[in-house]
Amino acid sequence: MAREQIGELEELVLLAVGALLDDAYAVTILQTIVENTDRRLDVTSIHSVLRRLERKGLVNSEMGGATAVRGGRRKKYFSLTRAGRSILDETMAVRARLYNQLPRLTFALPRL
Amino acid sequence: MKLQPPTYADRLLNWFCRDDLIEDLQGDLHELFTERMSKQAAWLTRLQYFWWVIRSIRHDVIKNPLGTMRNIHMLRNNLKIASRIIWKNKLNSFLLVAGITLGLTCFLLMGFYVRQEATYDQFHSKKDRIYRVWLKEDYGGDQIFFNSSTPVIFESFLEDNFPEVERAIQVNNIRLNVGEGENRYNERVTVISKDFLEVLDFKIISSEISEPLPDRNSLILSKEYAKKYFGTENPLGKSLPLELAGEDRLFTITALFEDIPVNSSIQMDMAISSENDNVIYSERQRKAWFNVSPETYVLFHEGTDIDQVNAKSQDVILSVLQDEVQRNEYNIGFQPITDIHLNTEIPPALAPVGNPSYVFVLSIIGLLVLIIAIINYATLSLGHSFVRRREIGIRKVIGARKGGIIWQYLTESWLIAAIGTAISILLTYLSLPLFNELIGVDITLEFQWWHLFLYLGIVCIVGISAGIYPAIVLSREQVTNILGGHGGQKKAHHLRKGMVTFQFIVTVFLVTSTLLMERQLNFLNSKDLGFTYESTLSIQLNQDPNSPGFTAAMASARDKGKILKSQLKQYPEILATGVGSHSFGSGNWGRVSYTDQNDLFHRFRINAIDPGYLETFDIKMKEGRSFMPDNIADEKTSIILNQAAVDHFGLTDPIGKKLPGSDFGNHKIVGVTEDFNYSSLHSQIEPLVFIQDYEAIYQGIHDHDYDDSPVPKLVVKYRTENLSEIYNLIEKEWKATFPNEELRLSFTDENIQAQYDGEQKMNRLVRFATLLSILVASFGLLGMTILLINSKIKEISIRKVIGASELTLFTLLARSFAPQLILGIVLSVPLTILFMNKWLENFAYQIQISPLIFLAGAVISSLIALLVISYHTLKAARVNPVESMRRE
Repeated sequence: MAREQIGELEELVLLAVGALLDDAYAVTILQTIVENTDRRLDVTSIHSVLRRLERKGLVNSEMGGATAVRGGRRKKYFSLTRAGRSILDETMAVRARLYNQLPRLTFALPRL
Repeated sequence: MKLQPPTYADRLLNWFCRDDLIEDLQGDLHELFTERMSKQAAWLTRLQYFWWVIRSIRHDVIKNPLGTMRNIHMLRNNLKIASRIIWKNKLNSFLLVAGITLGLTCFLLMGFYVRQEATYDQFHSKKDRIYRVWLKEDYGGDQIFFNSSTPVIFESFLEDNFPEVERAIQVNNIRLNVGEGENRYNERVTVISKDFLEVLDFKIISSEISEPLPDRNSLILSKEYAKKYFGTENPLGKSLPLELAGEDRLFTITALFEDIPVNSSIQMDMAISSENDNVIYSERQRKAWFNVSPETYVLFHEGTDIDQVNAKSQDVILSVLQDEVQRNEYNIGFQPITDIHLNTEIPPALAPVGNPSYVFVLSIIGLLVLIIAIINYATLSLGHSFVRRREIGIRKVIGARKGGIIWQYLTESWLIAAIGTAISILLTYLSLPLFNELIGVDITLEFQWWHLFLYLGIVCIVGISAGIYPAIVLSREQVTNILGGHGGQKKAHHLRKGMVTFQFIVTVFLVTSTLLMERQLNFLNSKDLGFTYESTLSIQLNQDPNSPGFTAAMASARDKGKILKSQLKQYPEILATGVGSHSFGSGNWGRVSYTDQNDLFHRFRINAIDPGYLETFDIKMKEGRSFMPDNIADEKTSIILNQAAVDHFGLTDPIGKKLPGSDFGNHKIVGVTEDFNYSSLHSQIEPLVFIQDYEAIYQGIHDHDYDDSPVPKLVVKYRTENLSEIYNLIEKEWKATFPNEELRLSFTDENIQAQYDGEQKMNRLVRFATLLSILVASFGLLGMTILLINSKIKEISIRKVIGASELTLFTLLARSFAPQLILGIVLSVPLTILFMNKWLENFAYQIQISPLIFLAGAVISSLIALLVISYHTLKAARVNPVESMRRE
């Protein structure tokens, strides 16, 4: 299927954008990912991924919500587009499908 | 606590970040910064913030303040168009590239020569603290003795009496017989102080001991000389006999040094330690204050103020010499080592001094030829632009801005300059050996990486200066003017004519100067010197090293000459022989001076000869007689003056008289010769006294000054066409008479020619530059002719249809360059006169700058110009009108 491919970090960011709903901007996305995955990331990587996702049309953005701590600068809020949502669904479905094909309780038994 | 993120980081972010991204990005970073600030140390957070900013530099974040991308695209486009245009007009492009290439090659070669001359002795790492010592004795009036050779005693004197001096070293050249058997040569051996190699940076390449010159029996050799004496063997530890003080002594080779670079004033091939001074100089010489021989160099301590040293030098001198000299009579001074090669104010010692005005003139000429090439480009592309006006017009209509068109033109000229430079560099490096050989210079080139930047710089400068004017002129024009028919362009037209005129000025100037220089040199070589030197040669005799004192040493060599003379007499090929202290063309003859009883100071040159000498060189007597052969009384007392000496001493009826002075022994003037030019034609004829035996006047004179060695030479006049026959004959007799000595023979005409080596070299360099400049200018003229004909082809055809003859058409076309050519010729005259008068001042005997020379220069230049334009002009005049009218 000639669909847009996304990488792992892109997938994580996309998931975070979806999960955060109305509060998805770079800082919260970063926090979500760090908390959930224990990855060492900095915000510049998130920015870079977000710009890429936006170019691919997987997320939308709008400006708003200036705060004092940001020196009066507005945030850029992101939301999933239809395409973003469907690519997530599809990725998840593929994973689930494959996961379900695993035999139950498979262990790597030490050879005797 | 400061809660704001570092401003420099924010400024950086502002500088590179795109405007539509920065608000969110910076906001996020600030937010994170505040959050982190509460958790960790402030400095760490700031550092982290900076790190984030750096990490934010990604290709999709960077803004484009200078339109970088667009510029790259435009550059690519410009390059493409430029290369197409170059490709399309092959002849024109060839002329442009060839002009730039030749101009630049000339510039580079001249530049390398000038650079070499200007960087003498720069390779010593302590060069800022190393000075050569000079001595100027000034006793008032003409009694000035100025030397940069110094007394032997200076080394210890300077070290002991001037605390500013860290080291004083001496260097001198002596001639010794070296080696044995077949491998015995008379060599220049350099005598150096023990710490010489610590002060000056001559590279020792191999030495088994830490000290290169440990004792008086050690010898160091250059790589080249190691090869000469030992071939491929390792010479270290081997020994070589040197004949010092009459005996062969074995010297051990303790070190080898890298061949001395050309641009070093101190040159040496083999060197021994000055610990041998006691056998090289007499006891008296080593202690004397008024006898100079070696060069002395001093290394001052860091931070020494040379003015302070000079200020107190008189006090120091008087503290040692108070009994012998008055204040300011005995002056020593210090000359920076890097100053030696091009300073003509201070007399030369061991190394010849270059001519700074030549260096200056050659750099100017190199630059001029390059400028011609650049102008060439400008005029040609300006001329060509009329063909390309429509292209510019269309570009403008479509929306090209002025800057864009300028850039496009500059790209073109850069491309041409780059091609030209690349070819020219290749040409320069390849032709350097040939150039060296043809011109007689010795330029060495080592490629270094920074040269690349130099060449890039040249490309930039040449590209800009060649392209900027046409670019501006073209870009400035109104579209309506361009596309709507005829434009103004009067101004550019005038300037173009002006530039062509300038080219003609420089070319005619160079042509005329070359002619003039050649005439002067011909004059020098063909002037009647007052004696005959053709078919003569001189053989250096060797003195007996054990003879006591100067007079005896000279006599010993003279006696050897007598033996050889009698051997040679039997051959019919030998017409005449003589012995003399000096022959011709090998340096300044000995000069002596004294003060007479009336306190008048006299200085004259001296040559101790035998009766055969005057006959050998066919020197004419004016009055009196020549020396008598085999007459002891005549030998001890007779002297002969030249006419200049008679005039100098104010003698009337000189025969039988004496030189004015009280201390002279028994002597009388027996003859007077006609004046003859015994030194080079750079100087007038000075007073000269011929003696046979130094005893005749030796007592009466105080000072001696020898440039050419006074050790007698055997001079021979021969009759044969076959030089090798004469050489073999003399070599045979020499070997039979002095089996242990090397024969040193030189032909007088070659020596006399060699006096003008500097001028010959200069002449060859200028001739080379002239040739290139003519070529460059011809390319320019050719290009202009083609353009002119292209633009007038219809006019020519119409004229032809109406009935103009080919000749009429030719003159019509040729005439369009005539005003510039004539103006160029006229304006070059004052320039030539100015420069050539300056050059001719070098000679005491000069040719007149005659109008004929200028006429010749003008005719040559016009003929070349005519030749260049004639081919295309004639072709145009012959063209079938139907063909050219039908075009379009």
